[in-house]
Formats: sequence, structure tokens, C-alpha cells
Amino acid sequence: MELKKNEVIWLIIFIAPTIALFFLFFLLPILFLFVTSFTNWNGINAEFVGFENYVKLFSKKTFIRSITNNLYWCITAAFITVPLALIIALLLSHKSRGWKVFRTILFIPQVVSSAAIALMWLALFNAEYGLVNSLLDTMGFSEYKNHNWLGAIRTANVALIGFSLCYVGYFMVIMLAKTTGISQEYYDAANIDGASQFQKDMYITAPLIKSTFFLCIILAVIFNLRQFEYVFLMTAGGPANKTSVLVVYIWNELSVQRLGRGNAAGVIMIAIGAFLLIVLRKLFKSETYN
Amino acid sequence: MQRDLSTNFYSIIKWIIIISFVFYAIFPFLWLVLASLKTNAELLDDPFKLPKVFQFKNYTDAIEAAGLGRLIINSLVISTSATFLNILFSSMVAFAIARHTFWGRNVLFLTISAGILVPLNALIIPYFAIINYLNLYDTRTGLILVYCAIGLPVSTFILTEFFKSIPKEIEEAAYLDGCNFVSRYFRIMLPLALPGLATAGTFQFILCWNEFIYAMLLTSSTDIRTIQFGISYFTNQFFSDYVGMFAAVVVSILPSITVFILFQEKVISGLTAGSVKG
Repeated sequence: MELKKNEVIWLIIFIAPTIALFFLFFLLPILFLFVTSFTNWNGINAEFVGFENYVKLFSKKTFIRSITNNLYWCITAAFITVPLALIIALLLSHKSRGWKVFRTILFIPQVVSSAAIALMWLALFNAEYGLVNSLLDTMGFSEYKNHNWLGAIRTANVALIGFSLCYVGYFMVIMLAKTTGISQEYYDAANIDGASQFQKDMYITAPLIKSTFFLCIILAVIFNLRQFEYVFLMTAGGPANKTSVLVVYIWNELSVQRLGRGNAAGVIMIAIGAFLLIVLRKLFKSETYN
Repeated sequence: MQRDLSTNFYSIIKWIIIISFVFYAIFPFLWLVLASLKTNAELLDDPFKLPKVFQFKNYTDAIEAAGLGRLIINSLVISTSATFLNILFSSMVAFAIARHTFWGRNVLFLTISAGILVPLNALIIPYFAIINYLNLYDTRTGLILVYCAIGLPVSTFILTEFFKSIPKEIEEAAYLDGCNFVSRYFRIMLPLALPGLATAGTFQFILCWNEFIYAMLLTSSTDIRTIQFGISYFTNQFFSDYVGMFAAVVVSILPSITVFILFQEKVISGLTAGSVKG
């Protein structure tokens, strides 16, 4: 629509609040993050120190450990959570009795806050009264009777991954929605040829939602890079920093006022995110647009 | 014959997989609700057993002793204000982008949408500095502003796509009749876009209600504290009232689950509209 003269001012008024907030909480912080990462800023004074923060970070075991833990979360999500979500999406796409109810239930963990989920699983993993240990005990694994899952180096990461599986619902819903767009003709043709349900899932539905599957992998990787609440509340990065992730590392730098170094870690985190995003998009590009 | 057998086999496998995942998703919640109705002694004795008497007292205790009521009110005030502002601002900018041509329109839309991909948790130190600089540390206003801002990319994306899908004819007729910019937005676009506003609003409300890291970062006093940050105090190692903690967690979960169940079709449609495009 052609704007009348006096309407241009309204257009500006309509855009202004969003631009202002976007500048204040997206552009400015990123710029600020980048600039202060080259200083020894402690909240009061800041001096330019060049690449010192970056050099220091990469010489810290805990920092490297945090990056590898983040990547471990990303890889688990991409290779376990999303494929499982695909299987469930394929199965629910048959639209058998009650599929909508199952879809809703599987999605519920996604709308519950990470803090509540973390506290809940903290209780489930509790050594004294936790459900996990009682279940294992009942099943005959009595050596786990009083095992402190999250406190033991050997099992802390396994336990964190185990709980993260309750998040399949999100990816499942996205892929399931994609299946509803598939034309019925494919299935009619397959029925004439006498294809079984498994064959239809395997050779018709799955290939047709491939692009959404790849999209889910990208989303899973991005989400897991941002990981904070679970680790912070369930293990606080422990035992012995074995489960720390990048945001927990940044948080700890903030709490000792090493703001410049914390921001350098933030820059590295954004760089890793951008790198993974570009690589994954390249990797999936030929698949996505066919 | 062979055929039927393999079909049946696949069907059995299918139900085993679906039921076990549904169980995995829902069982912890059921256990939590059950545990929140026990006494501490019963919980430590046997995590499976049903309580002798349902201890609804745990809930009243949590609300009174742990100041849960205050936390809930704070969270409600902050979440609803941030959602209202977020939807107001994002629908305004979406209206401008979806219905008008102006210099820099595509750049504006792409830049805001790209905000979805920014790992905001990397920015906690800058956020802390900015909020302090604005003198908004430990205020509701500070949290409302931050929550409103961090949801803008998703809301703007959903609403712009939604507005574009609404036929232009009604608006063009109104335009020719001399209806001005502001009334086209309020009188024509907003009423037609109600389903879209509900979708974006549901997303935003759940985001605000569940937010944890900025609540912890930007507030310190108990008067301002939101429920998500409040319940994390129960993890204190010297704290041994487990059932009280469970009751508090159950209370903190209820609003977002209720909103989701009420608006689930909206959530699912918004999720797919936003993500299928990639």
C-alpha cells in the first residue's frame, strides 16, 4: 500500500520500539562482548590486554572440558535424540487411535521450565530416595542401591544424557507436522503395490521429511550449545568440573569478576555456534533443496 | 499369511516404542506429584509406596513458609507484562513489514529473525552491565524489558508470516475509504490476526514463565524474585524438606502446562510454521 505523507511518521513509530530493544539487547551486547573480551575488565577498570584472555582460556583444562562437554551434548542430541524423535514421528504419523494425546504428552517436558525439570530429575537421581536407584534395585542391580549418579565422575554425564531424552517431543512434533503435508497419493500407490506399513514409513515418509530431520539436527545443536540450567542446577559443573559447559564457565567467571575473560569465553561460544551452523547448513544444503 | 504376521509384529513394536516414550515423558511428573503428597519419612522409606494419608499440607506449607505466593505473583506480573509489551511491539513491526514497502524492509526482517539463532546465554555479562547501567538491577522493569526483548525475534517472525497470509483486500478497501495507518492496524489487522497473536503470545508467555538464568542474574531481593529462581533455593544442601520442594516444583509447573494444554494447537502450529521454513 502506498503510504500517505503523514503516515511515514507512523511507520517509524511502529518500527521504533522493536529496533530500540533489538539494538539494546542484541546488537549492543554482542559488540560489547567482543570489545571487552580484549580487556582485563573487572567491573570497574578495564585495560587493553590483546589476546591474553583467549590464550589463558585455551590453557585452562576446565574450559576445554566445557567445550567438549557442550559438543558431547550436541552430538548426543543429533545422533540419539533427533533420530529417536524421527522414529516416534513416523509411528505417530499412522494416526492410530490416540495419536494426538500421545503427541501432547510427549511435548509436555518442553513447556515445563528447565529449572523445574532439573529439580525433578535431581530428585529422581537422589541417592537416598531417588526413583532411579530404587528401580535398579528392584531389577536386581543392587550395586546401584545408594549410587550417587550425579556426584560420581563415571556416571554424571551418562545421567545428564539419560534425562535429556525426555525432550524428544519437541523434534517429534516438528517432524510429525511435516508428515501431514505428504500427499495421500504416494500411500495409495504403495498400497496397490502391496507395501507394508514398515515399507511405507521407511521408503516414503522418511525420505520425504528428510529436510525437516536435518533442520531438527541444526536446532538440537544450537539448543545444546546454550545449555545452562540443567548442568548448573543438577551438578553445578561438578564433580571436579567434569560436567561443566560453556555458559556455566562464563557464569563462574562472572561470579569472580573476571568479566573480560568471561566475555572472551562468550565470543568463543558464539563463534562455535556460527561455525557449527555454517558447517551443518553446507552439509545439508544439497539435501534440503531437492 | 506371512504378510499379516509381519504387519502385526511391526504394530506390536510400534506400540511398545510409543508407550515407553510416553511413559518416560510423563512418569517422572506423576512420581513427583505423588512424592509431593507424602511425608519426608515415607519418602525416604520407600519411594514407590503410596502415602498413607495424602499430605496436602505440604502445599499450604510451601505457599506460606517458603513464600511461594509472593514468587507466583511476581512471576505472573512479570510474565504477563513482558508478553503484552512483546506482542504489542512485535505486531506493530510485523504490520509495518508485512503490509508496507519501505527502504531497508528486508534487511530489518532478516536481522531481527537472525536474532533467533543468537545464543543469548553467551551474553550474560553484557546484559548484567547494561541493566546495571540503566539502573534497573533488581527491578521488575528490568526483567520485563529483558524478557520482552529476548522474545522479539520469534514473535516478529511468527506474526510477520501470519500477517502476510491474511488477504489484503479488506485492508485495501479500508485504505481507499480513507482509513488511516493506525486504525488499519487496530481495527482491521489485529482482529483478523487474533489466532496469530494467540500463537505468539503463548510462546512468549511460556518463555517468560520458564526463564531462569536472567532472573538469577538480574535480581537479588526476595520481593522481586520469580518462581523459577525461587524454587532453585530448595536445592540448598542443608535443606532437607524434600516433600516441600516437590510441592513447590509442582506449583511452578502447573501454569505453563495449563497454558500449553489450553493453547496446544496454537503452540504446535506456531512451532511448525516457524521451523518448517528453516
